[in-house]
Amino acid sequence: MSDYLLEMHDITKDFNGVKAIDGIHLQVRRGECVGLCGENGAGKSTLMKVLSAVYPYGTWSGQILWEGQELKARNIRETEEAGIVIIHQELMMVPHLTVAENIFLGAEPRTRAGFIDYDRMNAEAEKLMARLKMSDINVALPVYNYSGGKQQLVEIAKALNKNAKLLILDEPTSALTTSETKTLLDLVKEFKAHGMACVYISHKLDEVAEIADTVTVIRDGTHIGTQPMAELDTNKIITMMVGREMKNLFLREPHAIGEVVFEAKNITCWDVTNRERKVVDDVSFEIRKGEVLGVAGLVGAGRTELACKLFGCWNGDHEGKVFLDGKEIFVREPRHAVKLGICMVPEDRKRHGIIPLMGVGYNITMSVLKRYTSGGFIQSEVELAEIQNQIIRMKVKTAEPLLPIASLSGGNQQKAVVAKMLLPEPKVLILDEPTRGIDVGAKYEIYKLISELAKQGVAVLMISSEMPEVLGISDRVLVMGEGKLRGNFVNEGLTQEKVLAAAIGQPITEAA
Amino acid sequence: MTLTKKDVRKFLSEYKIVALLFIIVIIWAFFGFLTYDSETGTSQFLTTRNFSNLLRQMAITGMLASAMVFVIVAGEIDLSVGSLLGLLGGIAAVADVTYHLPLWQTITLVIVMGLFFGLMVGWLTAYLGIPSFIVTLGGQLVFRGMVLGLTGGITIAPVGPELRYIGQDYLPGWLGNSGGVLLFLVLAALAFWTRINRQKHKLVVPSMTTEVGRLLFAGALILGFLLTLNSYRGVPAPVLILLVILGVFTVIGNKTTFGRHIYAVGSNMEATRLSGVNVAYVKMMVFALMGLMCAFAGLTTTGRLAAGTPSAGMGSELDAIASCFIGGTSMRGGVGSVSGALVGAVIMASLDNGMSMMGIDTFWQQIVKGIILVAAVYMDIVSSGTQRN
Repeated sequence: MSDYLLEMHDITKDFNGVKAIDGIHLQVRRGECVGLCGENGAGKSTLMKVLSAVYPYGTWSGQILWEGQELKARNIRETEEAGIVIIHQELMMVPHLTVAENIFLGAEPRTRAGFIDYDRMNAEAEKLMARLKMSDINVALPVYNYSGGKQQLVEIAKALNKNAKLLILDEPTSALTTSETKTLLDLVKEFKAHGMACVYISHKLDEVAEIADTVTVIRDGTHIGTQPMAELDTNKIITMMVGREMKNLFLREPHAIGEVVFEAKNITCWDVTNRERKVVDDVSFEIRKGEVLGVAGLVGAGRTELACKLFGCWNGDHEGKVFLDGKEIFVREPRHAVKLGICMVPEDRKRHGIIPLMGVGYNITMSVLKRYTSGGFIQSEVELAEIQNQIIRMKVKTAEPLLPIASLSGGNQQKAVVAKMLLPEPKVLILDEPTRGIDVGAKYEIYKLISELAKQGVAVLMISSEMPEVLGISDRVLVMGEGKLRGNFVNEGLTQEKVLAAAIGQPITEAA
Repeated sequence: MTLTKKDVRKFLSEYKIVALLFIIVIIWAFFGFLTYDSETGTSQFLTTRNFSNLLRQMAITGMLASAMVFVIVAGEIDLSVGSLLGLLGGIAAVADVTYHLPLWQTITLVIVMGLFFGLMVGWLTAYLGIPSFIVTLGGQLVFRGMVLGLTGGITIAPVGPELRYIGQDYLPGWLGNSGGVLLFLVLAALAFWTRINRQKHKLVVPSMTTEVGRLLFAGALILGFLLTLNSYRGVPAPVLILLVILGVFTVIGNKTTFGRHIYAVGSNMEATRLSGVNVAYVKMMVFALMGLMCAFAGLTTTGRLAAGTPSAGMGSELDAIASCFIGGTSMRGGVGSVSGALVGAVIMASLDNGMSMMGIDTFWQQIVKGIILVAAVYMDIVSSGTQRN
C-alpha cells in the first residue's frame, strides 16, 4: 500500500486559540532517518508530543497514518505499543535503580511467584547492551555510575526493549561528549540498516547532515520544506530555519555608550551534578554604560548558567573574576549583587521570579523593602504609593495593587518582576529570556523599557533565544555555544544566519 | 451546583477567620446545651469561671502557636517545642528553687537559653541545610533528655510566689479596665493616623462610617471580654502575656521587613533569594523567635504548676501545630496569621474543656481532636482550590 511507515498530514494544534503548529507534514519511510530542524519554539516539540499522544487524539486536527492505518492514540502507552518511542532531551532515568531495572521499568519480568525475576532481567539487559556494543556496562550497577552518554544509550536500550519501529531522538547529543556523540550516530546508522526508522531533532546541523536522509524544516509552527539531504547543505538549512521577515517591533534609538562598567574574566562554571562537565567554559566579556549586550545561542549553550554565576546564584563549582567600575567584586549571594547594583530578571519566572501567593505590589517592593521603613516599621502608605507609581510606570494590568501575583497573566507578572529588579536602580541589568511566553503587547513594552534604560546609562545584558529580538535591540551581540564564547559582534549588518552559524560552531561563507 | 460549591470556596478563603469564629460559636452552643442544668437554669460550660479557665488553658498552647505560625509560614516545622518548653521550665524551677535566684535573673536566664536553643535549631536548618523536621525531631529527644538529667527525673518544688504569679494570678479589675481603655485609644489613634497618611499619599480610604463602625466593633469586643473576665476574678496573667504576644507578633508579621520576608520565603524561597533577601537569616531568626516563645511558655508552665516537672510540655508541640493548621495556616507555607492560630488554639481548648466537663474519656478526646485536625486541613485544601484553578 503505502511505503511510508509514518505519515502525518496537516497537523494543527492550538493552545487557547494560539496556533503552536499549523498544517505540518512529516513522512518517514522504513529504514529512513528524517532530520527535523527549526529554531527554539518553532514547534518541533509540540509536533512530537502530538505524535506520541502526550496530546491525545482529538485535541489536535489533522491525520496520522501509522503503517497505513489511522492512528488514534489516547496516551503514550498506546503509541509505545504501536512502536513509536521518544527519547527526550532530558534523560528520564531513575538514578538509584540499576541499569537493568531502568530498562525494564514498568515491564519487569516476573517469576511465577510474582517476584521480579532478576536473573532473566539482567540476562536480557546484557543482551540488549551487547546489541548496542556496550558490553562493558554492568547492568546490575545503579545508573548514576555512568556518564550522560552511557545513560543515553541505556535509554535507547529501553526503547529497543519496547520493540520500537520508530525512534524519535530529541536533541540526544546536547549533553554528550564528541566521542559519545560518534558512538550514538554510528548506532543510529546501524539501526537504519536494520530497517528501523528514526526522527532526529537537533540544532547540531552537522550531525543532521551526517545521518539524515531527508530533512524537514519548520519555523514559527509552519511547514517550510522537506528535501532530501542530498540536495541540501547546512547553509541551506540555516537559511530555511531563519528566513523570516523582521517585524518592526523594535525600537533602537540612538544613545550614547560610555566607558566600561562591568567586566567578566575567564568565567568557568561546572555542572551541579556532573562535576566534570563545564557548562560555561572560559568566557570573558565587558559591557559599557548604556550598552545593550545581547547574548545569543541555542538552548543549553550555558547562557543562563553564566548569568547565574554573575548574579551569585550558581550552585555548582565556578571560577573567574568579575569587575564593576574597574574594581574586583565578589558576589556569593544574589543579595550582594543587588547591593552592588547588579540585578537579574531570571529565566524561569514561575520558579525564580514571582512569589506567587503575595500581592503584585509586595512582589515589586521585595528587594528594596527597607526603603519604606521608619524605626523598623513599614510605612504602608509610602510603600503603597510607590507600588502605584510602579504599576502605572510599567503598565501592569491588575485589578488591585495587592492581588496575588499568580492570578495575573504571564506578561503582567513579567512586568512586575522587571519592576522589582529596577527599583534597586541597577548599574547592570541582566535579563534572561525577558519575553519568554508573553504576548506581543507586553513584549513591546519590555523592548521600549530596555531602550529607555540604555538611554539612562544602564548596562543591559540580555539573554534571548529569539534571534530577531537579539538583533533588533542589541548594540553588540555575544554568541555562545556549548559553554564557550563563539562570537562577539557589533550589531551592524549582522544577520541571523551569521549568528546561528556561530552558535552552531560552523562559520559560513558570505555567499549564504 | 458548581456555583454553590465555588461560592463556599470563595467564602472560606476570604473569610477564614469569620468561618472559624462561627465554628467556635457552634462548639460553645453545643457544649452549653449539653451541660445545661434545668434546676439552676444555667449551663455549666457557659459561665464566666469556665471562660476564664478555658483562656488559661489555651494560653500556653497559644504562646507556642503564635511563633509556630511563622515557622510553618516559612515552610518549616518545629517538633521540639514541647521538649524545649519542658527544659526551659525545668531551668526556671532549678534557678528558683535550688539557687534562689531573684525573679528577674531567672527570667533573663530562661529567655537567653530559649533564644540560644532556637538559634541553634535555626542555624542547623538554615545554614547547614538539615531539614527542620529532622533537626527538631532530634531536638525533641535531646531537650527531653536534658530535662530529665537536669531534674534527676523528679519534680522540683515549690517555686517562689513571684514565679507562681506569672502562671496563676489575675490582674486586679482596675488594671484590666485601664489596659482595655488604653488599647482602645491606641487602636483609634492608629486608625486615624493611617487614614491621614493614606490621604496624604492620595490612596483610597474607607468611608468614615466604616472606620467608626470598625472601631466600635473592636471596642465592644474589648468591653465584653473585660466584663466577662472581671466578673470572675480578672484577666489571668498568662492571658495578658498572650494578648501582648498577639499584638507584637501581628505587628511583626504585617509591619516589618522581617515579617514580610517570612511570608515570601515560605511562598517561594528561591525567588525571594533572587530578590536579594538573606533567606537563611530569615529562617534562622524564625526559629529564634520560636525559642523565645518556648521560654515564655516554659516560665508560665512552671509558674502555673508551681513546680518544674520532667514531663512538662509533653506533646504540646502537636497542640501548637494543630492550632496553626486549624487556624488556617497553609502547610505549603506562605499563608497564615497569628490571630488565626490563636482562634485555632481556642477551638482546641474548647473541645478539651467541654469534653472533660462532660466526663468523656481522654481517649475519646484525642480521637475527636485528631479528626478535627484532619478535617481542618481538608478545609484548607478545598478553600485554596480556587487559587489553583
